[in-house]
Amino acid sequence: ATAMDQLVGFGLVAFSLLLFVYYTIWIIILPFIDSDHGIHKFFLPREYSVTIPVIAGLLLVLFVGVFVVIVMWKNRKPAKKSD
Amino acid sequence: MTKLVQWLCGLALLGTGWATLALDPLGLHLPLPCRQVLWPFPVYLLVAFGCYSLATIGYRLATFNDCEAAAKELQEQIREARADLSRLGLKF
Repeated sequence: ATAMDQLVGFGLVAFSLLLFVYYTIWIIILPFIDSDHGIHKFFLPREYSVTIPVIAGLLLVLFVGVFVVIVMWKNRKPAKKSD
Repeated sequence: MTKLVQWLCGLALLGTGWATLALDPLGLHLPLPCRQVLWPFPVYLLVAFGCYSLATIGYRLATFNDCEAAAKELQEQIREARADLSRLGLKF
């Protein structure tokens, strides 16, 4: 793998690890910590823990759909005329 | 029974389990932190799966074994084939 590939690859690994740890602490660990502990100010209110992934998922589906439409549009052939 | 039906049955089972614990139709009244963890649990599993997929893709991209010599040889053979075929009259 080229240096660029390695950079992108390990960057993806680090990003997804960070995201997983943050989300796990948010969802699973925080409810068991008293609400006057300082750690709560690093995390958004709990409702966002559902709305942000749902909206991100919808955006993903939107982008995939737009991509499919663009590719199919570019590959359309004019209908053959038959004698 | 097809694989799809099996997966759907498994999902339906897990979904029913989650709904029984989260929507509380039996009036069990679990402690509050447990209910706070339980509510977003399906979304949590989805996000965790997404993170795992992303990490696997990134890791396999970074550790992929390129074959430089084979790639160059292949490009050379493609060039030769093109020259050969266009000499014989095939249009590219």
